[in-house]
Amino acid sequence: MYETLIPLIIALPLAGFVFTTFLGRRLQMSFGRNVAAAVPLGVVIASWIVAMVVVSAVLQHQGPFPEHGPGLDVKLWTWIPAGIDPTTGHALTVDFGFHVDTLTAVLLIVVTTIGMLVHLYSVGYMAHDPGTWRFFAYLNLFMVSMLLLVLADNWLLVFAGWELVGLSSYALIGFWYQKRSAALAAKKAFIVNRVGDVGFALGIMAIWVNTGTLNIQESLATLIEAPAAELTVPLSIIALLVFAGAMGKSAQFPLHVWLPDAMEGPTPVSALIHAATMVNAGVYLVARANPLFAHAQDAMVVVAAIGIFTAILAASIAFTQTDIKRVLAYSTLSQLGYMFAALGVGAFVAAIFHLMTHGFFKGLLFLGSGSVIHAVHEEQDMNRMGGLWRKIPITHWTMLVGTIAIAGIPPLAGFFSKDEILGEAFKFGFTWVWAIGLLVAAMTAFYMWRLMGKTFYGESRVDPHVEPKVHESAWTMTLSLVLLAIPSALLGLALTWGGPPLSPDGTGLLKGWLEPVFRGAEEALHHEAHAYELFGIDGILILASVAVATLGLVAGIALFGFFRARGLRATADRIAGATRVTRFLYRASLNKWWFDELNDLLFIRIGGRVAAFLWWFDRTIVDGTVNGVGALTRDAGGGLRRIQTGRVQNYALGIAIGLIVMAGSFLVIVSR
Amino acid sequence: MLAFLSDVSQSLDAYLILAGVLFAIGAFGFLARRNAISMLMSIELMLNAVNLAIIGFGAFKPELNPSASVIALIVMAAAAAEATIGLAIVIAIFRNRKTPLVDEYDAMRQ
Repeated sequence: MYETLIPLIIALPLAGFVFTTFLGRRLQMSFGRNVAAAVPLGVVIASWIVAMVVVSAVLQHQGPFPEHGPGLDVKLWTWIPAGIDPTTGHALTVDFGFHVDTLTAVLLIVVTTIGMLVHLYSVGYMAHDPGTWRFFAYLNLFMVSMLLLVLADNWLLVFAGWELVGLSSYALIGFWYQKRSAALAAKKAFIVNRVGDVGFALGIMAIWVNTGTLNIQESLATLIEAPAAELTVPLSIIALLVFAGAMGKSAQFPLHVWLPDAMEGPTPVSALIHAATMVNAGVYLVARANPLFAHAQDAMVVVAAIGIFTAILAASIAFTQTDIKRVLAYSTLSQLGYMFAALGVGAFVAAIFHLMTHGFFKGLLFLGSGSVIHAVHEEQDMNRMGGLWRKIPITHWTMLVGTIAIAGIPPLAGFFSKDEILGEAFKFGFTWVWAIGLLVAAMTAFYMWRLMGKTFYGESRVDPHVEPKVHESAWTMTLSLVLLAIPSALLGLALTWGGPPLSPDGTGLLKGWLEPVFRGAEEALHHEAHAYELFGIDGILILASVAVATLGLVAGIALFGFFRARGLRATADRIAGATRVTRFLYRASLNKWWFDELNDLLFIRIGGRVAAFLWWFDRTIVDGTVNGVGALTRDAGGGLRRIQTGRVQNYALGIAIGLIVMAGSFLVIVSR
Repeated sequence: MLAFLSDVSQSLDAYLILAGVLFAIGAFGFLARRNAISMLMSIELMLNAVNLAIIGFGAFKPELNPSASVIALIVMAAAAAEATIGLAIVIAIFRNRKTPLVDEYDAMRQ
């Protein structure tokens, strides 16, 4: 039964995509936008139901998913049956198949649930757009690609899904392609992602060369058992190449520049692709390749360092952005940085835990921001909002839940996952990751409250013409918000049920699920299980992280208010401009640490010069040589053509002269 | 005079010099005359010069004698055949181009 259900999870959105691509426009013209949206929404809901059936079987160890089993492989057909390399005996045979284990199941929950809610939300959000059918076709395509990426059982199929999510992301960022900034942002996202993809592709090639198989499970098992001397590429390099792909897709420094610009797309896209699912693909990839990383600990330190650096960099930029979606985009970068830091220190379960909770609360925050933007008539600048909490109460309350969740205040979801990352980092000896992470936690709480304060509290700065027309969004949108607010609040509690910190003796629900996937890596890293001490070190770590989160929130409330109107905007500016150091930091944050300018200098100016020189070299030297040889031949032929007169006697003269010369030289030689 | 001639006719050199002079005249005629018929006649002259040289060698070198006679006969046969075909070609071209002058036969340029 599961051999049918698992392909069905992908087949349903695929059918929706094909249907909407060919018939969507006609349906929309004849019956209106809601009818055009019905099929894409329906297939995603159906796909969610099927996925939930599979997920419940996997997580409860029913049917073909025994406890501690390796998971179920569903091979549909042989995709690439290429021959055998005679020197190594490696066969390049690639199956079109799926692998379902508990990690896949956890990802399926996030992707299908948030995907479904975003589809539902989009029905309301895109109700005024003439391209609704096109939008839903793209969304369906995205679901297909993302599910393919998550379910694939071999590297090449993962790569295909990887590129397809990039394609649908490109199409959706540039959905309003008439807008120049959107078209440019789409291009930027696509190109920056290519940089990482080159690394990923090289990594896949290195894996195949060294193992002779592209199947993920088999290749990882072969790779970690192979003696280091037999590998043509060291494990750390393979791991870093794979991580390069993850850096591109998950927008880690220095490939983080595309994600904030990707906010040019419609808000549901930002929520689905650029917050909850696609950007998590990198985290999933590293977690999937966990045995590889566990045996390449140099690479893991790099992962941790890049992750935590991205976290603090993005958090510092989020301080001063005024576009509501950009604040959330930098917040996403920062939280993804946390996940990579967790992967880097070896806390794989914590990383996946944060991936899940973050998917829900960041999806909620993005959809909430979309609702706000809708309410104030497509205004995204927070300086032109304020005092909205009375007018759009459902949006306000759900976003408040999301904010407290991301800030890390117990008992909401963000607290559990973030605390687990920080706690594990500390316990595994990465004190520096813990310290920076703690600072970032405080910063997160602060900038999120700045967003809340500027949007919902204080005096209204909304355009006076728009002010009377501000209204709560359509029911599909608010329903999605409420449905996302519930897991944002409770998911952390639910997933740690039966484990620390709720019950120090057992292992949490999520940990129990994911234990078979990460067992090998944990053993390789020598993470011995130690007793959980709620009244010892663990309790102190919890207190520390709650304390800094509260500190950040309190600072935010002091500066940006809570419900009551306060004229504190001036205070924030005064603090920012107080001393030379803060003035510099303020400007650096406002200008995103000049990364766009740096890229412009490095790749557009200097790279452009180099390219112009190479172009000149190609044109004059390379082409010149080739054309020169051609011209020489042609001119020589033209010159020699003159002596071919066609007159018999000229030729005869030539023969006679040749004869005389030959006879003469013969005589000279003989008489010598 | 007769005595001189009978003296000279006893040496191979005289025949070879005569053959060389005849060949030079033939070669000059072939290169310089514009008329196709004259060129054919010059070719005959060169062939006969060669034949004369061969016969000369045959007469003065006993070991070459039989071969020389045979070769001379073969050259004559070849010369006759060549003259026939050459004349036929010249007549055909003449009918076509209405001129016997070879410097107007420049179709090979194209």
